[in-house]
Amino acid sequence: MPHTPHISRRELLRGAALVPVAGALAACATPVAAPTSSGSAAPAATSAANPFGVADAKPLEVWIFDGGFGQDYAKNIHQPLFKSKYPSVEIKHNATKEITKVLQPRFAGGNPPEVIDNSGANFMDFGALSQDSQLQDLTPLLDAPSWDDPNVKVRDTIDQSVIDVGMYDGKFSVLGYVNYIHGIWYSQKAFRDNGWQIPKTWDEFLALCETIKKSGKMAPFTYAGKFPQYLYEPLLTMAAKVGGNEVLVNIDNLEDGAWTTDAMKTAATAWAEVGAKYLMQGTTGLDHVQTQTAQNKYKVAMLPSGSWLENEQKGSAPDDFEYGMFPIPDVTGSDKMPYGTLHTQPGENFIVSSRSAHPQAGLEYLRAMLSKKAAGDFSAMVRTVTVVKGATEGRDISPGVTSATKAVADAGANAVYYRWFNWYGPLKDEAVAATGELMSGGLTPDKYLERIQKKADEIKGDSSIKKYQR
Amino acid sequence: MTTMISWTAATSRKIARAERRRRLGPLGLLTHLALLIWTLLVIIPILWTFLASVKSEDEIFGDAWSLPATLRWDNFARAWEQAHIGQYMLNSVIVVAFSTFGTMLIGSMAAYVLARYPFRGNRAVYLLFVSGLAFPVYLALTPLFFVVQNMGTIPVIGPFIGLNTHAGVVLVYIAYSMPFTIFFLSAFFRTLPTAVGEAAMVDGASHTRVFFQIMLPMAKPGIISITIFNILGQWNQYQLPLILLQERDKWVLTMGIADISTAAGYDQDWSALFAALTLAILPMLVVYTVFQRQIQSGLTSGALK
Amino acid sequence: MLFHRYRRGLFITSFLAAPVILYLVYVIAPYAQAFYIAMTDWRGVTATPRFIGLENFVRLFHDSVFWKAVTHNAALLVLLPLITIVIALFFAFLLNVGGPQGVTGIRGSKFYRVVFFFPQVLAVAVVAVLFQQVYRPDASGMLNGPLMALGLNPVGFLSDTDVAFWSVLAVMVWQAVGFYVVLFSAGLASIPKDMFEAAQIDGAGRVSLFFRITLPLLWDTVQVAWVYLGILALDVFAIVWVMTLQHGGPDRSTTVMAAEIYRNAFEHFRFGYASALGVVMFFFTVGFAILSLRLSRRERIEY
Repeated sequence: MPHTPHISRRELLRGAALVPVAGALAACATPVAAPTSSGSAAPAATSAANPFGVADAKPLEVWIFDGGFGQDYAKNIHQPLFKSKYPSVEIKHNATKEITKVLQPRFAGGNPPEVIDNSGANFMDFGALSQDSQLQDLTPLLDAPSWDDPNVKVRDTIDQSVIDVGMYDGKFSVLGYVNYIHGIWYSQKAFRDNGWQIPKTWDEFLALCETIKKSGKMAPFTYAGKFPQYLYEPLLTMAAKVGGNEVLVNIDNLEDGAWTTDAMKTAATAWAEVGAKYLMQGTTGLDHVQTQTAQNKYKVAMLPSGSWLENEQKGSAPDDFEYGMFPIPDVTGSDKMPYGTLHTQPGENFIVSSRSAHPQAGLEYLRAMLSKKAAGDFSAMVRTVTVVKGATEGRDISPGVTSATKAVADAGANAVYYRWFNWYGPLKDEAVAATGELMSGGLTPDKYLERIQKKADEIKGDSSIKKYQR
Repeated sequence: MTTMISWTAATSRKIARAERRRRLGPLGLLTHLALLIWTLLVIIPILWTFLASVKSEDEIFGDAWSLPATLRWDNFARAWEQAHIGQYMLNSVIVVAFSTFGTMLIGSMAAYVLARYPFRGNRAVYLLFVSGLAFPVYLALTPLFFVVQNMGTIPVIGPFIGLNTHAGVVLVYIAYSMPFTIFFLSAFFRTLPTAVGEAAMVDGASHTRVFFQIMLPMAKPGIISITIFNILGQWNQYQLPLILLQERDKWVLTMGIADISTAAGYDQDWSALFAALTLAILPMLVVYTVFQRQIQSGLTSGALK
Repeated sequence: MLFHRYRRGLFITSFLAAPVILYLVYVIAPYAQAFYIAMTDWRGVTATPRFIGLENFVRLFHDSVFWKAVTHNAALLVLLPLITIVIALFFAFLLNVGGPQGVTGIRGSKFYRVVFFFPQVLAVAVVAVLFQQVYRPDASGMLNGPLMALGLNPVGFLSDTDVAFWSVLAVMVWQAVGFYVVLFSAGLASIPKDMFEAAQIDGAGRVSLFFRITLPLLWDTVQVAWVYLGILALDVFAIVWVMTLQHGGPDRSTTVMAAEIYRNAFEHFRFGYASALGVVMFFFTVGFAILSLRLSRRERIEY
């Protein structure tokens, strides 16, 4: 093998250059060319029609989380719309169910794609992305003219909550595209056929569970046991309803004792009782699809989920299933927030990577997504509500979306949300693990809350983790 | 093994055998029973997977042991086309073929030199390689990622050996197989007689020629067993390709299967998952059964050397 | 003579160049860097990771999840070799000495050996996905289906915190046994048959045959097996990551060191901290290797 030594010598030199610290390596590995914040600083010329300076020659790479909404909406709605304006920009479309696994190395390697739908059970830790300044500041997007009307800024076409929730470190960095509406989901048909009523109070809810259990027709309640985050959602919403919005604000801000307030105890106790008495058999080992499919087969009556559910189940729910959702019932009689209080949160979180090769095109792609046409077509295709105001006007929507939209209207200002799980990955892991234990009886409500509080305190005291406030 | 008993009276043997048969007879049945139980433990999960691969979605969610009403071969079509099992398998075969060949070639070269040529630093180099046996690969993952990425920036050859390239993965596999390969092969070379090689040298053969034409053929049993170990080990790799290959069309089979398992949750296509599992399992079992004699003897001679 | 010396040197260099360089670049360099990263707060691509000395090690000292992972590895380190070796020895003995003659192989021993070995040729990730299905918690699970048909409650093989660890261990044993049956069989085959016959003529039954002859003569092989299985127990990753709920759950009941390293690095972006965990794992593994070499009577690394 006469050639080996030659290549090897070069590799040796290369190797010697590699041995020094990884930091230097990372620096070499990262093309520092990535423009920092505003699109106007970009090389390509900007104009009213091309506000960020999209360069024709550079491709645009898009990664979609291939989950409840699939990926066709991006291929068939958003990308053609973008292409209609920039026909020479090549769009590299990709989709995955495991965003973190596939894309994290790209970030670590300094060549992230431009646009990412950072969603699903395994999304990338937003806190870490932000701390590493990986997130493109989307403020220029808000201040750019909207796709449909040059006289209206993008900022004025979307719900204010999107902007609030998308703030990281004082910069608008994450665009939630869909308005997720959380609640307890059921089959309107099953409830009608069996004469079951929507419970308005927690006592009624427990009585309903008892009735369903006794009927022997199906199990009363289930949740995606493999992913207990599906259950801490109604638990936290209930705590907010009982103790007021500040319960969640304090939790987000890592206030001392935020997890162990009386409101949290009430909620944890209430759900632990459901866990002990009314869960479908095997719940803790099933995932969201398995539990949702069980509901479609009328094996279980209710489960907590969000407004993506109807679309996610469109293949397996019977045509006359008629999804419906109801909000958390009144718990104490003196709840701080009224009946109808909802957890709504912008989701399907799109980000533009600041260190990608072409962030300008990423911003422009998001601008196209926020057009009325794109948002309306999206809503029609995947049966859900976007954050673009009035995008579903004059369109036919499905029973589940109707039910959820009505709930939002009823809730009015009584909408709550929380953000800690996006900010502090390790805290989310702990809450997920502990919630599973709470529901299977391995932890008492008090121990459960103490455990998460302990983790929250730990994170608060960990100087290596960046803190966020709301 | 020094106490060899050399008692060979044929008649007494016969008597003894009859006696033993009487004493040990009933145990034969229990023995078979015990072996049969483990056989079932091994086979049933595999057969159950094969069975589920021709079931419909409803049947999979129904009773675990019901037989399928009709055989759904289309599950395999979906696993092959949509889940790209064929592509992943081909990738695995390509990567493992090259990496095992490379591992054996340069591994045996190094092992031979280290085993047969005393020189200053020999032991240090040997220990450097062998100590790698105890390193947990997880510690190296992050820096390794950057090393491979940097390889991608080398002019000319970079694009072939950087991230997302099979050649890059092959080089990494080879490097990480060195400790094991060198450890066992150098032990093997040390046991080979020296006379033939020396005679050839006297006749004017070069060192290289002696290695390739004399020593390597003599070491064949050891080479075969270590080759099998490396094929199995590299075919099984999950962790290294997981960080080195991000593009789906480059994935190897283990990543594909793990991904389909996650995807089945979203697409509700469990039957395709079982079909994919079957496609991943069946060829391995067939290849193994065909070559089982060589594989078994190869593996054990390597481990016992 | 000088020419010969030169040729010899050239030969040695040319044969060692490729393996040594590959090994330095892809193995040694990353490990060396990992030790440095362990002393930084690096979270991914920050150009300049901040050097924080031993802070990560202080932090991991209080990390209850990591220590839980360590106890799981420790439990596996004891249980996996013990159970696997006992089962494998038992079967190897039955296969080789269990025949009606007492010294010959049992009828069909070849068949059994082939079948027992099946799990070994399957990729760990494939086995993990397979058992995820076998362990399903409802009537559609291979194990729970029959249980529920008998009117028993289903077992949460992967969802019950008291059971999940044993489910993981069971899969590892399931996969490992076949290889060691073959390994021990090869060892047994090299024991002269006369020894068994002689012992039997002395009136030894199967049990005493096993303890008086088989075990002592296989002792070296058993030690080798113990080291292999020990390293397997310390290194376990794919089974846990792919098969268990929440990658090491539920509630961390199955997590292992490698899973925590992967989680911290590639899910929480805490590369510095993950590397510190890796350094600890490094010392555990190297410690185990040195210890077992010391205890082993065959100093295999010496030559």
